Amino acid sequence: MIEVRNLAFTYRSRPVLRDVSFVVSPGEVVSIVGANGAGKTTLLNVLATLAVPDSGQILLDGQDALARPLRYSRQVGYLPESPAFYDDMTVKDYLRYRANLKGEPAKRVRRRVSEAAEICRVADCLGVPLKRLSLGVRKRVALADAILLRPRVLLLDDFLAGLDTGMRRAAGDLLSNAAAFSSVIVTGHELDDLARWTTRFLVLRNGLVSSVETAGLEASALRARLDAALEGGAR
Amino acid sequence: MSPVRVTWGRTIGHARGLYTTALTLAGFLSLVAAAFAFNFDRAEGGTLPLTALWAASAAPILPVLAAFLAMGVWSDERQSGRLAALLSVAVRERDYVLGKFLGVWTLLMAALVLSLATLGGALLVLAPAALSGVSLLSLLPPLLTLGVQGLLWTAAAVALSAMFRQAAAAAATAVVLLVALPRALWSGLRLWSSRGATAFGELPFDAHAVDGALGTFALGTLVAYLVVTVVCLLVATKCVAATRFVGRGARTLRVSTGIVLALSAVFAALVVRLALRVDATVELPVVGLSDEFSPRTRGILAESSGEIAVTCFLSRGDARFRPLGHLLRSLRRASASLGGARLEIRFVDPRWDIAAAERLAARGVSENSLVFEKGRRLVVLPLKDGCGERLCASTIRRLTTPPQRRNVYWTVGHGEATLDGYGLYGLSNIARELAREGYRNAPFDLAATATIPNDCALLVLSGPKSAFARVELDRLDAYLRAGGRLLVLLGPAEGAGLASLLATWGVKATPVALAGAKTLSGSDVIVTDFSDHPVSAPLRGSRIVLERPTALAPSAVAVSGAGADHIGFSALASLDGVVLAAAVERGSAAGDDLAIRPTRLVVIGDATFALNGALGARANANRDFLLNSVAYLSGTDAVGASGTEAGLLVSGLDRAARARFAVVTVGVLPSVVFLLLAGATLRRRLRT
Repeated sequence: MIEVRNLAFTYRSRPVLRDVSFVVSPGEVVSIVGANGAGKTTLLNVLATLAVPDSGQILLDGQDALARPLRYSRQVGYLPESPAFYDDMTVKDYLRYRANLKGEPAKRVRRRVSEAAEICRVADCLGVPLKRLSLGVRKRVALADAILLRPRVLLLDDFLAGLDTGMRRAAGDLLSNAAAFSSVIVTGHELDDLARWTTRFLVLRNGLVSSVETAGLEASALRARLDAALEGGAR
Repeated sequence: MSPVRVTWGRTIGHARGLYTTALTLAGFLSLVAAAFAFNFDRAEGGTLPLTALWAASAAPILPVLAAFLAMGVWSDERQSGRLAALLSVAVRERDYVLGKFLGVWTLLMAALVLSLATLGGALLVLAPAALSGVSLLSLLPPLLTLGVQGLLWTAAAVALSAMFRQAAAAAATAVVLLVALPRALWSGLRLWSSRGATAFGELPFDAHAVDGALGTFALGTLVAYLVVTVVCLLVATKCVAATRFVGRGARTLRVSTGIVLALSAVFAALVVRLALRVDATVELPVVGLSDEFSPRTRGILAESSGEIAVTCFLSRGDARFRPLGHLLRSLRRASASLGGARLEIRFVDPRWDIAAAERLAARGVSENSLVFEKGRRLVVLPLKDGCGERLCASTIRRLTTPPQRRNVYWTVGHGEATLDGYGLYGLSNIARELAREGYRNAPFDLAATATIPNDCALLVLSGPKSAFARVELDRLDAYLRAGGRLLVLLGPAEGAGLASLLATWGVKATPVALAGAKTLSGSDVIVTDFSDHPVSAPLRGSRIVLERPTALAPSAVAVSGAGADHIGFSALASLDGVVLAAAVERGSAAGDDLAIRPTRLVVIGDATFALNGALGARANANRDFLLNSVAYLSGTDAVGASGTEAGLLVSGLDRAARARFAVVTVGVLPSVVFLLLAGATLRRRLRT
């Protein structure tokens, strides 16, 4: 379980996150939505230890992540908004490189790569150079990288952006698979798609988070509540 | 697998896939080869071994190589967005920095090995003589030294790459900060200081490269390189980590990082200062310098006795310090093994050993000198003209044998070069050499003096241009008939009227055109064919350079006569069968019991043979040839030849061969390397 307590972050005198608190349980898929510039990417960067918060705590199973960031990072998988690769590598080489970098023992690297490739449906293009892949496949490769070591927390930044309808549907299946072993936090603007497999929405507004539960809600009702929450943020 | 190893492998793999890597390596090979060809040309005949010459050529270009190899290691990651992917993994920034640093350093070392291989291969084919004394083991010290320097340059370049988003900006800044700025500052200090080059010498990085290549490693220098390397890596690590420091919460981290870096810099400065104060030096036995000496030197050392104090009054920072120290220590070992004099060696640095330096100055000894003392006898050798095995041996001989001065008279009044001429057309250098060998030089006006003095060991005609008067020729003839000794340096348009005199004494001079001969400048010829004569035999293996030479042949009288009147003509140096230097002796066949001093002439078909310009030009044995001639004529032992002195760089290349060497190493081989590497990169790209 990952718990965020009173997280605050200021960028160039502008408070981006103010007193953000929430909890994500194992197996839960939580979507963070908000207007552009609301701080979704910043929040994920802070959770991925790519930025240091002004104050607040990130607790993974009760352990302070900021006090021991390396130990915490080992249990986090992160997919950035625009994944960048070494284009001279094939998918297989890249995933093996990342598995090695993450400290996976050599004898288990091949298995991890196969598993991640199967889950993310890139097993048939393991020998293809990364530079020849489409955006959607690249995102799946990046997701395979993020779930390589079955992290306990999976952070996906704007995962659905740039994917066509078919891909988005497949992405939902991927996330459902990933949620089997992780607490998943995903950001995005595609409310309808996210609503299909998200257990809870967190709406970022004025640096604060308000939660919207999906359980038991009709799609139209959920959409109405989310729109209301987002419009409030825009005002 | 450790993240350092993974990052190291990825850095190398990524570099292999870039055309810029192939271009950088080829450019490095070409620049080093150009510097080497230039230095090789200048160092011919010097004591600097080939390995040190290579190190001196590669050292200034090494930071440029490091700058270009490291320019993208961090800035590309930052610009492409891969940095976030790296930092999101549970790996310390220092492991990434170390991995990338080692990756670049591995490429840098590969470039150095490639440079050695290409230059060595070219030398093996084009100038195998130059490789004598070079073993695989002797390549280790220069590789080790440049490897240590490479650590520093790589760390600095990696740190700069971590500071910039654009690889080109990182490379340009690295070249300015690591190459241009230090050299400009050092040159400025040399110009600004009243003591100029003497006070500042070479740029320390260049001097360290040569020292290390000679097997001398100073603890202070090593510690300085390693400490600065660590500080640079620390800076690089903090620059990468600073990527996370974007919010207000990172302010404390920024301040603490700044304090850590400042304290590290102070600590590093103190460690370096301490190491430099300790000044411990390690001398590896595996070096390119030879401990072997010529038979003459060994003979002199064997005959020497007693105790000789040798003081090297020279700054430790001077480029000549290490080779000279090695030479003196080798002489001491050789003398001890031959049962000769005990050499007591002392080094006095004018800037550090103030009391000893003042004592030397009070005795009239100036800085940059070598002082030999035995009892109350003292000989000071200024180092400005170089000081090698031969000169040290001669000095030891002068100290250990009773003084015996022989007068050498030089004719004047016919346009001859003068003894006190310090320009290119003067004879000051050879006059000084003769003085060091124990001769007393004096000008002599043949027209003004009826007879040539009895104390004249030999008379020298150094390229007379105007004609000798009849009476002067008669006096020369009378002098020779009385067993005189004459050295003639003969010009091409011999207008001095010496032809008849020389013909009387067995030598006929004729102009000659030597087409197709090996040449250095185009107007000279290189002569390597020496006969088995006391003057020329020790020069075998070396070369003399003659400017528009005159051919010599035995005249009709050379074969006539009998007994005491027999005139023997001996060719000394020839080119394609044309004699260009000859010795004539009359009376040696009479037998020792008649106690007749045989007349001797040495004629060299080049008036400029011993001028300062000729001796100071590329390494040649002209000086040794002349000294041997003087020794032969005055009846002392020959001094040997530079070419036979151990440890001297002799390539045997003429101008055409040098040009070929430069074209092959600067142009052809780097191009081949580029094509091979670029081809491999293209193949890899096509495959993926």
